[in-house]
Amino acid sequence: MSTQNQSQNGYMLLFRGTDLRKGLSPEELQKVTDNWMAWFKRLTQEGKAVAGNPLEREGKVVSGKERVVSDGPFAEAKEAIGGYFLLDVATMDEAVAIARECPGLPYGIRVEVRPVAGECPIAADLRAEAQFAQL
Amino acid sequence: MNTQQQNGYMLLFRSDEWYNELSYDELQKVVSQNNAWIEELTAEGKAKPGHALQRKGVTVSGENGRVVSDGPFAESKEVIGGFLVLNVDTLEEAIAIAKSSPSLAYSTSIEVRPLAEECPLDVRARELAREEQLATA
Repeated sequence: MSTQNQSQNGYMLLFRGTDLRKGLSPEELQKVTDNWMAWFKRLTQEGKAVAGNPLEREGKVVSGKERVVSDGPFAEAKEAIGGYFLLDVATMDEAVAIARECPGLPYGIRVEVRPVAGECPIAADLRAEAQFAQL
Repeated sequence: MNTQQQNGYMLLFRSDEWYNELSYDELQKVVSQNNAWIEELTAEGKAKPGHALQRKGVTVSGENGRVVSDGPFAESKEVIGGFLVLNVDTLEEAIAIAKSSPSLAYSTSIEVRPLAEECPLDVRARELAREEQLATA
């Protein structure tokens, strides 16, 4: 990953798993939530988090040529996305180090770390192809 | 379901690498349609600038984040390729916008999710605390 360890456009953390609250007491759950909010606040103050939001559990999915609208849930509870942070950090290593601080990890939450693309990767491929065709 | 929302909606674009099957001309057409679609939504104030995600990354899991596994998530149709945050008030408007996405013609799917005002975990913690109080009252 060494050559691809940089992103000019930051990273996105996607929090996967929405059944964390099962099996926790109200106090434990409150503690995880408080820790999570304090974590986001700190990252924001440090200038490392630029946006973030929890998502409501419900929602809809629009799919395919026929534009079929169906109800969530969208995936198994352990895969479902419960929220995201947008990070303004320069390397994957930093983004992963932040992901490892997630207070939900001990409760089965998984954090997907994705580099944000400067432009749509499809458009970038197209441009590269056009340049190649001109050679 | 309460469809009135003050916080906006998130569109999550999910797909496999459908664009690898298209010719250069077809692909160019989709890309310009898609750019025009986002520019129009942004100009109307209905969307904040969108972000595409590179098709690579890692997943951190386990207690203290000990497990780090590599993406890429190439084959899956569930991979999130980008997102858009919408400034609209109702789920109906958000769905109507999702339906107008040019990429849907290529068997992709779009998840439409309300942004939460409060973390749902926090809301649930308060509910549980109330239930316990009631049970012991």
